[in-house]
Amino acid sequence: MEFVLAFIWLIIPVALLLVAMLVGRAITSRHEADLARRQAVVAHIRTTDIRVMLDPVPGDHPPMLVTSEVCLGIDHFRGFLGNLKNIFGGEVRSYAATLDRARREVIMRLLEEAHRHGYNALANLRIEFADISGNATAARKATSVSILAAATAHHAATTTAHPVQAPVAAPLPG
Amino acid sequence: MIVVNTETIPGYEILQSLGIVQGNVVRAKHMGRDIAAGLKNLVGGELRGYTELLTESRRSAIERMLAQATELGADAVINVRFSTSAITQGAAELYVYGTAVKLREARNEPALAAATGVPQPPPLS
Repeated sequence: MEFVLAFIWLIIPVALLLVAMLVGRAITSRHEADLARRQAVVAHIRTTDIRVMLDPVPGDHPPMLVTSEVCLGIDHFRGFLGNLKNIFGGEVRSYAATLDRARREVIMRLLEEAHRHGYNALANLRIEFADISGNATAARKATSVSILAAATAHHAATTTAHPVQAPVAAPLPG
Repeated sequence: MIVVNTETIPGYEILQSLGIVQGNVVRAKHMGRDIAAGLKNLVGGELRGYTELLTESRRSAIERMLAQATELGADAVINVRFSTSAITQGAAELYVYGTAVKLREARNEPALAAATGVPQPPPLS
């Protein structure tokens, strides 16, 4: 009887980890695919984090503040990996990947809102980490990441994503 | 009212600065959301309840800021900034602030655009 109980207590956490890993992976890859698909629609919108729009043109509407936010959960498996890594130190890739995905999602939402209102450029893009309910400072581990973003939507003269040609490396002298 | 997080508004001149306007909201999540988020957190993915909470908080903070700006008779709020702070476990503050200004539509728009020094692309055919 005791053997069976011990077995159950062992099997439950392992099963939870396994489920979290498999479902978490599926959710992540679906989100990545979704981001790639949405990117095509807003690829023409120019984005900058400098504080003024360099080549504004008068549009139908004056510039507008656009904001977005997202809260992504860090799945149980990634949390477990993060805790393991914490013992030895070093880069915690499982958390970095989730943070990166959350940032891409908020930027995508900003672009989509600007696109919906007919703007073609964003200036003064600001991204920040929101410490909601102490999720960043919880003693146990981080369980979710909340990211806020804000920018000003403009009408710009150039609409391509890369209006300025990338600098060509100068040939070495001699 | 025009609300932007840049320091200038293309096509407009700033006539007068009326000072800082601000709005803040402290919101907590109700228990149902906490439980649902806890379950969702097992497998990761977006916690929509919390995203909504942030959206609502942000909206009401901006509304409070705009109410102040309206009271001052402002035409726009520029240089808007957001900040969050975790006050206690289970609640968060969202604070938004900006500068209320009076505006006038700029008359010399082409000159302004040229002043930035950005080469203008050929007109789209």
